[in-house]
Amino acid sequence: MTGTDSPPCIDLKDIWTTYEGAAYPVIKGVSLRIAAGEFVVVGGPNGAGKTTLLEAICGLLPLVKGSITVCGREIPKEKIGILCDVGYVIQNFDFHPFTPYTVLDVVRMGRYGRIGWFSRESQEDLDAAMEALRLLRIDHLRDELIGTLSGGQQQKALIAHNLAKKPSVLLLDEPFSNLDVMTRDEVSSLLCDICESGVPVVMVSHAFDSLPRRDIRVVVMQKGKLVLNTTSQAGDVADIIRSAPVAG
Amino acid sequence: MLEFIIQNNVMCHAVEAMLFASIGCAILSVLITQMNISSIGFTMSHAAFAGGAAGVFFGFPMLLSAVVTSLATALVMGPLSYRTRMHTDTTLGVLFGTMMALAIFFIALMQSEGRGFDAASLLYGNVISLYREEIYALVVIACSIILLIVIFGKEISAITFHRKMAEISGIRVAPVYYLFLFLIAVNVAFCLPIVGGLLLYVWLVTPAAIVYQFCPTIRQMFLAAPAVAGCISIFGAVAGIVWSLPVGPLTAVLFSLVFVLAVAISPKRKVCRQIY
Ligand SMILES: Nc1ncnc2c1ncn2[C@@H]1O[C@H](COP(=O)(O)OP(=O)(O)O)[C@@H](O)[C@H]1O
Ligand SMILES: [Mg+2]
Repeated sequence: MTGTDSPPCIDLKDIWTTYEGAAYPVIKGVSLRIAAGEFVVVGGPNGAGKTTLLEAICGLLPLVKGSITVCGREIPKEKIGILCDVGYVIQNFDFHPFTPYTVLDVVRMGRYGRIGWFSRESQEDLDAAMEALRLLRIDHLRDELIGTLSGGQQQKALIAHNLAKKPSVLLLDEPFSNLDVMTRDEVSSLLCDICESGVPVVMVSHAFDSLPRRDIRVVVMQKGKLVLNTTSQAGDVADIIRSAPVAG
Repeated sequence: MLEFIIQNNVMCHAVEAMLFASIGCAILSVLITQMNISSIGFTMSHAAFAGGAAGVFFGFPMLLSAVVTSLATALVMGPLSYRTRMHTDTTLGVLFGTMMALAIFFIALMQSEGRGFDAASLLYGNVISLYREEIYALVVIACSIILLIVIFGKEISAITFHRKMAEISGIRVAPVYYLFLFLIAVNVAFCLPIVGGLLLYVWLVTPAAIVYQFCPTIRQMFLAAPAVAGCISIFGAVAGIVWSLPVGPLTAVLFSLVFVLAVAISPKRKVCRQIY
């Protein structure tokens, strides 16, 4: 499972990206290949560029140099196609209690992009949303307003929003930060199942106690550079990330 | 259009103007408040005001010059406010002040030249000054807004929920955003002669603010806002004409009264005091 035998789902070749108005590039020459069915944990200190890396993979940021291919599609040419196909659970969200959408509304929105401009939601779309709610065990909350849920429940709703899409690649940005220990284990085994089904899962995380018991690719970012890229077991991830070399 | 219900010609004209103007504005108000674009909304409405004032002063058609300035504002400020939030608010604030100053400048000039009537109707609107065609135009605009909301319902709901998440789900956010800026610009320009430049913004915010107190979902807001705004506007038009009061300002005050009442009885402010 090193990604050399099968064609990579995500292929980053020496990418340099920046934010609009930023003086210097945030990601500096990262190359990474991720194959189908790989479980990747991205570690590194705050501000290392982990979130930026995920955004670059879905084509949300301008690419200064290098190339990104996701599921055979190239950024930025096929950006919309990639976005319809990639699940990305964002890191920072904070919904006002009176945000006028229910949990089911939010989960259904995950499919709106791939439904397309002038088409209506089909039964299949609704079924996918309901299934995602069940997978995350929040189907009883479906008619609650999203903003009235706890942070952890909102986090689950956002994961469900992305699973409803039936993504070919799943990116998650610190998905465990709002979850209690039991729920982390639940979500972790759900992610493991998704991964076994062939969808690569790339997760930024600082919580290493609830990783699935399987081969895990550990990638460490520092100051916008990739300083470590290795494969290990769940139990060793914390130590590997702690002892990662320091970027110059 | 409503002659079969309202025999009085003046009254009929006023009610039609107010009703159709408020339906379009109320639906847009839900978008403006939920998409957090109120600063660009009020800058555009004051740009229309300034454009209208300049137009009247120089003898151009007011509607045309109002549409042009408000569209120009949307074209210039749209891309800026689409990308970044923080510092555009300041830019918009400055632009808003400039537009207001220009409008007041031309109005003051008109007053000093003895064209006080033109100036007053720009400031507070004039419901019975409209041509029949302008009322038809308002109907067309209101219907287009409703149609576009229905057609792009799912895109709009995703974008108003969370712009970035909508983009991540694969929706092309920018075309929808610019389409609605365009609608706001046109709608604002056509409503200017009815409610006046000073009060226009009441119509673009208060309806959504009122129904927000009672409607838990956006679908309900889209249905309730034009209904509530329509009722208030019809009442304002009738009361204004019956009691010879200025219709625009009267209706604006009514909007605010209903808003205060709505906040006072809003279920969103209720606190459950029962412990068991
Ligand atoms: N919107 C932005 N504009 C400019 N710079 C940004 C923006 N977001 C993040 N950065 C910069 O990019 C760097 C990496 O940020 P990020 O990827 O969010 O780090 P993290 O690894 O904690 O997720 C930081 O130094 C931050 O200052
Ligand atoms: Mg981050």
